Amino acid sequence: MVIRKKTIGFKGGFNLLDAYPLDFCNIIEDICSDGTPETFQFCMPDQKIEHVVVNLCPTEPWALPNWVILKHKITEFLTMLKAIKTSYFPEAKVSVAVNEKEARTVADAMNFAGKEDWICVYPLSAKYPQDDPVLLTKVILRMDINFGQATESSGVLILDAQTVSAIYESCVLGKNVASRFITLSGTGLKENEILNIQLGTSIEKILENKVREAIKSRVFVNGPLRGQEITGLSQKIDWSVNHIVVLEENDRKVLFPMVKADELKLTTNVLGELRRCVYCNFCDDICPVDLEPALYYHSYMRGEKHKARLYNLGKCIECGLCSFICPSKLELLEIIRECKAPDRQK
Amino acid sequence: MKNLLKPVEPIIGKGLDAIESFIHSHKKVNFFFGAIFEAFDDLLRSSRLTAKEPPYIRNNYDVKRFMGAVLVALVCGWVLPAIYFYGWQCVLLSLFVSTIIGVFIVDVGWAIIAKEDHISEGGFVTCLLIPAILPPQSPLWLVGLGAALAIIFRNALGGVGNNLVNPALFSRLFLTICFPALLVTGYQTPFVGMPDIHTFRYGLDAVTHATPLTAFKASGEVTSGLSLLLGTSGGSLGETCRLALIASGLWLIKMRVVNWRIPVSYLGSVFVFSVFFSLTMGKAVAPPIFQLLSGGLILGAFFMATDPITTTYNQAAKWIFGAGCGFITVLIRDFTTLSEGVMYAILLMNLLAIPIQSLMVKIRYRV
Repeated sequence: MVIRKKTIGFKGGFNLLDAYPLDFCNIIEDICSDGTPETFQFCMPDQKIEHVVVNLCPTEPWALPNWVILKHKITEFLTMLKAIKTSYFPEAKVSVAVNEKEARTVADAMNFAGKEDWICVYPLSAKYPQDDPVLLTKVILRMDINFGQATESSGVLILDAQTVSAIYESCVLGKNVASRFITLSGTGLKENEILNIQLGTSIEKILENKVREAIKSRVFVNGPLRGQEITGLSQKIDWSVNHIVVLEENDRKVLFPMVKADELKLTTNVLGELRRCVYCNFCDDICPVDLEPALYYHSYMRGEKHKARLYNLGKCIECGLCSFICPSKLELLEIIRECKAPDRQK
Repeated sequence: MKNLLKPVEPIIGKGLDAIESFIHSHKKVNFFFGAIFEAFDDLLRSSRLTAKEPPYIRNNYDVKRFMGAVLVALVCGWVLPAIYFYGWQCVLLSLFVSTIIGVFIVDVGWAIIAKEDHISEGGFVTCLLIPAILPPQSPLWLVGLGAALAIIFRNALGGVGNNLVNPALFSRLFLTICFPALLVTGYQTPFVGMPDIHTFRYGLDAVTHATPLTAFKASGEVTSGLSLLLGTSGGSLGETCRLALIASGLWLIKMRVVNWRIPVSYLGSVFVFSVFFSLTMGKAVAPPIFQLLSGGLILGAFFMATDPITTTYNQAAKWIFGAGCGFITVLIRDFTTLSEGVMYAILLMNLLAIPIQSLMVKIRYRV
């Protein structure tokens, strides 16, 4: 079954792939840990799965590119998917989200899906945060789930390319999967790389000799937008780590920043001074779930957190785009998180 | 450009660092010059702030660029055409007086007294607008007073981000009340009797001329659309060359500095209501195209009504805001003794913006 709808998508969002283009080296380096390797284990969800969504449309430039797993052969990948579906989710519908700009992948996937009735292919635009579970289910399945809720409880299982291939290897073929691909990128590194890492390797070992010396840098697991900053490098790689981004801190004043935009780009510098909200509407134009983040800011500044919760605050998917775009450099995401947290008992 | 700046970079960088450490180590110097140095430093260098909370990367677009785009648009929209039509002596002197008094005396003085860290670049926008909305022959002291009033008024309300109404328009309202004669008579035909240095001391002999809207009120005379569009008819210093104003307004919309909903709804409602009144009342009211192109409507619709802080935040409410501005403008022009109503319309709707905003929020979220 083929579905081709031009209008599919959502309002707002931001194309990070165009704004921060990153190139990766074609050679994949293997890194082994000294300890005993951990292995990938797939836990079958307890709930009945009605929809399996496979996301082949990464929206962040530092995410693992599709070619690493697919090797430009989408048909083989979909055959793998079919094997998983027949043995584990015989009754589920499978939806595959592909980047509409990858014309060959889209055409091959459409060709494959034309002959099978269990799979639908959705060409999507790679706008951040399209790959968020809430937006994926909303755009593809027209289902509303809440942010923070496990999608399995609504009968939806979301998988990425690497997990599909790992499930195939470990469950269908019965092999041991003890390593995974992650990307290592950012302005704090000598070069951007794709690594094949044994599970359980510490981040310290991965970053050895790869970070640029003589600059201050900060390490983010799973990207600077949705991920976390880590200070101690002893954390070990498990299956939830998809990418590591190392950014230059850049806490110095740069002279003539208007002609030297690339020197400050992709650093943790906020690129401007802190000001008051000027009601520019940038945050609600970019918001992918159609909220008005400035309303939360004003409620918060007046000390009325309970009021902020009335303005659909629960719908926020915490993608961070409002803080990202704000010309006054307000910490909108932080304010939203504080408003969401229940009031402390006095 | 980058290579051109390379040799001077270390010198300027070291100089600024030295001044900064000097200012911060001397309390009294910091008290008087801290704000002005910060403002100057902000223009030349990026900030030192880094993101402490997620997301850890931020977009390269700040309020400085926002205001810079407005300044560029204002210079292309009214300063350059006004220099052509009224002579540089008139335009540049008014601008000089307005900026020196508004930004460098009042705003810096305020920053010193109120102990603020820096002056806001919004002051430049306000001071660039003040001469634009005054008649070409207005004396320099009037321009200076206007700029000072606008900045004092804005700062008294809490500075950029807390304005209730557009400060430039508020100051013009104040001047209209205090010095009505100066604001009604100072209009002249472009190219005629260009004021020079002497006229500011001895007064100008050039014949003053009614603006197109006053002429219509007095004798029913309708100025041609082409003359209004190009700017060869009379009016305030910055409102006459509509072609340049529309072009720079459209550029601001493209840069996403100006929200397109407001000019569209404002101009659209002026057109709709003037068509309605023309059809019902005939020649007693001004025809629609003349209304669209005369007075300060274009300047007001693209540069004044769109001042983001004084409009509503909600996007749907912006349509109501613009339509309200248009309705009041047409009402004042057609049914009162005043010939022009843009200033009153925008100021009134600025005040109504807060109730409209809370009403729209109530409708949208059902709270």
